[in-house]
Amino acid sequence: MKHRLIPRIVTKLIIPLILLFGLYIQFHGDFTAGGGFQAGVIFAAGFILYNIIFGIKVGQSILSINMTKNLMAVGLLLYIFVGFLGILLGGNFLDYNPLSSNPVQGQLTGVFLIELGVGLTVSNVMILIFYSFNQTDKEQA
Amino acid sequence: MVTRNLFSAIMSTTIFSLICALIFLILDGVDVSLTEAAVGAGISTILFLSTLKYTDVKIKNCNKTISPLIVLFLLLLLSLSYMVSDLPEYGKIKVSSESYVTKYYIANSKTEMGITNVVTSVLAGYRSFDTLGEVVVIFIAGISVLGILRKKSNL
Repeated sequence: MKHRLIPRIVTKLIIPLILLFGLYIQFHGDFTAGGGFQAGVIFAAGFILYNIIFGIKVGQSILSINMTKNLMAVGLLLYIFVGFLGILLGGNFLDYNPLSSNPVQGQLTGVFLIELGVGLTVSNVMILIFYSFNQTDKEQA
Repeated sequence: MVTRNLFSAIMSTTIFSLICALIFLILDGVDVSLTEAAVGAGISTILFLSTLKYTDVKIKNCNKTISPLIVLFLLLLLSLSYMVSDLPEYGKIKVSSESYVTKYYIANSKTEMGITNVVTSVLAGYRSFDTLGEVVVIFIAGISVLGILRKKSNL
């Protein structure tokens, strides 16, 4: 679709805004609507839009399939790691209070890290599913 | 209206999701509305359209009558509208779901966790075990799609 002028220009204009909105939902989820899941999906939607307009080859040069596979595992492992960090620092599994000297600050840190993990996993799973459905013919050989 | 065109069926699903998102927004379920708009109207439409590449837009060899489907649909509609009478009134202060834990979450989210959005504090704090399971489910879904659609020597 790269030869179509209007979709290309409009996409160039709105993709930064979509990605910025995704990041806003991710990092501001404590105080406004949304959280890691919504942010991941919005971020993935922006990236998939980029893939549709500029071709999946260009998209994969930015974020390759191997990278998405690794990052989705990293997100889940970050979640589990925060859980075990609570045990190591003397609390229960997924207990955020020991993460900082101030329990409220510990809770905020824990929730931030966990939402980051959820966002990473969700966005990369969505992008990976999109890649799997849209393999080019050359790759099928 | 019954359509045999898969493209218009997908578009109807998308519009339905968008309307659902607006209804959730009116009911003050902002988080759910955001999810519905992003997943239902956004990502799933793209994935449905991607699968259309492998199939045809029109359903072939479908000369059978659709009356059994309509009967099924009417039965579903009847049972659902029977359940509507059990829903609490819109805007009613005391609803059945407002149990002890709900009140606890609403009262203590700000002081215990410093998070004003109670949905986030429940999902990531009070019920973080459930969210861990949810993330594992999404991860498994990604792996399964990868396993099913994998072509030789790539992905």
